[in-house]
Amino acid sequence: MTGNSNDRSIALQASGLIKFYQGNDRPALDGFNVEISEGCIFGLLGPNGAGKTTAISIMSALLKATEGMVKIFNLDIRDRTAEIKDMIGLVPQEIALYRQLSGRENLHYFGRLYGLRGRALSDRVEECLDFVGLLPKAEQRVEAYSGGMKRRVNLAVGILHRPKLLFLDEPTVGIDAQSRDMILARLIDLNKQGTTMVYTTHYMEEAERLCSDVAIMDGGQVLIQGSPTELIKNGGHADLQEMFFTLTGRTLRD
Amino acid sequence: MFGKLLATLRKDILLLWRDRAGLLLLFVMPAVLVVIITLVQNNVYKLMGETSARIILVDQDRDELGRLLTEKLSGMELVTTIDGARVTRAEAVGLVAGGDYQACIIISEGTTAKFNAEVEAGVNASLHEEVGKDGGGAVPELEILFDPTVMGGFRSSMRNGVAMVLLEYEVGAKIKALGKLLPEFIESELKKSAGNFAEYVKVPPLSINISSEPVLTVRTGSASLDGLAIIPTPTQHNVPAWALFGMFFIVVPMAGSLIRERQEETLTRLRSMPVSYAVILTGKVAAFVLVCFAQFTLIFLIGRFLLPFMGLEPFQLGTEWPAVVSVVIAASLGAAGYGILLGTVCRTYEQASMFGSISVVGASAIGGVMVPVYAMPEIMQKISVVSPIGWGLEAFLDIFVRGGGVNAVSGDLALLLAFALVNIFGAWLIFARRTP
Repeated sequence: MTGNSNDRSIALQASGLIKFYQGNDRPALDGFNVEISEGCIFGLLGPNGAGKTTAISIMSALLKATEGMVKIFNLDIRDRTAEIKDMIGLVPQEIALYRQLSGRENLHYFGRLYGLRGRALSDRVEECLDFVGLLPKAEQRVEAYSGGMKRRVNLAVGILHRPKLLFLDEPTVGIDAQSRDMILARLIDLNKQGTTMVYTTHYMEEAERLCSDVAIMDGGQVLIQGSPTELIKNGGHADLQEMFFTLTGRTLRD
Repeated sequence: MFGKLLATLRKDILLLWRDRAGLLLLFVMPAVLVVIITLVQNNVYKLMGETSARIILVDQDRDELGRLLTEKLSGMELVTTIDGARVTRAEAVGLVAGGDYQACIIISEGTTAKFNAEVEAGVNASLHEEVGKDGGGAVPELEILFDPTVMGGFRSSMRNGVAMVLLEYEVGAKIKALGKLLPEFIESELKKSAGNFAEYVKVPPLSINISSEPVLTVRTGSASLDGLAIIPTPTQHNVPAWALFGMFFIVVPMAGSLIRERQEETLTRLRSMPVSYAVILTGKVAAFVLVCFAQFTLIFLIGRFLLPFMGLEPFQLGTEWPAVVSVVIAASLGAAGYGILLGTVCRTYEQASMFGSISVVGASAIGGVMVPVYAMPEIMQKISVVSPIGWGLEAFLDIFVRGGGVNAVSGDLALLLAFALVNIFGAWLIFARRTP
């Protein structure tokens, strides 16, 4: 567990978020509330269909909430979208890269879109490639990368512009233990450098290792929120996984 | 903003460059088609007599008629010898039947002499009021044998051309005969009534020299907009037609690129970035417009340098560069707009690829790419006005065949730009509706 949320300013505040998708009677989010302190790694946990991706999409200005409010570093997401997009980074669940381009070419392109240019862009691309351990394979096309390498470039693109707040939607899904371990280590490094993170995962041990705060959600609502250690201790659970099953049940969510 | 647009342009060009199947579709397909179709159509034009025909003259007569035909049919490629030897009747028939030549003219031995004798006999008969009485021999014949595949228009124009030459020769021969026979006739008639003075009657020979220069000439030409007379050869039609066909095929990779970005969530990443999606889309459109320019240049170079190498007419670009560039830009934008709509509406690359290809081939067919619009049935001619490829082709033909400039193509340019805008607006409506 990293970071310390005590006495820190609020990086993200979401209150009363409701989201209805077209043609759906049930809301994907139903009064979703979270408060994330600056500098923490916030784990958003929940079974499939709990509303994690919808919550991340709204908080990263990709989706509009049907109701509710999101503030990032005290800026309202509806009014200050452009400024907020400069401050946030997103690591999507899918490998959102151009597969026929090399790792370096992908980073150059996305870096340019983040407004970097010239020497600053080249230096930052090298830095990020080095950060995720892909400098020696930077010229290879992404389609030739292993699953773990793709995930690492996916992360590198998300941090190119040094975001203050980074959204990570299951960034370690489907990769080998080594790549996963490296990504988690890098995220801890980033956090130490001051990046606040919102992190979704299905791996409870990952959340326990990484997150200073977690929220367990289901049915579009946050069921419980707090530091994993305190939540486990207060609930009398053996670990986060046991608490997760207690709160969300063991029924399959296909 | 401009830097982000340029970065997107560069990225999309790079992606296309690495997409071998896409390159084949965009460059190799129209390049191959323009060569094949132009060669095929050139043969059809020959059969219709629209291009210079190759004719064999078998001159067994070796007299006045052969010389006159050689002189008067100078517009045709008239061959009398092959490999230095005079062509025989049997050889000529074989060459025409084999399709190497479109026709042969056979002048039998003694035709000119028989012709002259017949003319003289006819004039003599008319002076002695014995019209209808011929020279006593068989009327001389001049044979024209055609390649069986040669079409009716060419046959009649060839027959009329030869008949005109013969008529001219006949008139000259009759005047010549009249000049010789008329004084003899007058002298003979005068002697009959002169009695004892008959021996003093002498009519000098009549020398009639009539110029063979025509008194009235017929001038033909093309009704061009600025007086340029570019012949509408298969090359002039096919080069712009197949260039447009290839340019509109960018809808497939363009739609595919949008679908892939959506499926692989690159679009999600792009939308999370501090850049307007309009900038990304403009960069993408700019990349595909550049590709269209490259396609047009390739097909133009093929028309200019490769087709002449294969015995076809070279493509003439003319001098209306601004008009050409305007049509290429407008057609590219039309195609890109359609690609954006297709990429928005279709859920998968397979859908876009199938629907895009079918619609482009359909629009090309009704737009006159494969068969000129004027050669279509009336109902198809009416339908052809809705084809954006037809608008582009009409604009190109206005420039390359009719010699028009920007003003002449402004209507078609407006239609193509409106088509692009309607498609982009439609795509935006659908995208906005689908985005929660």
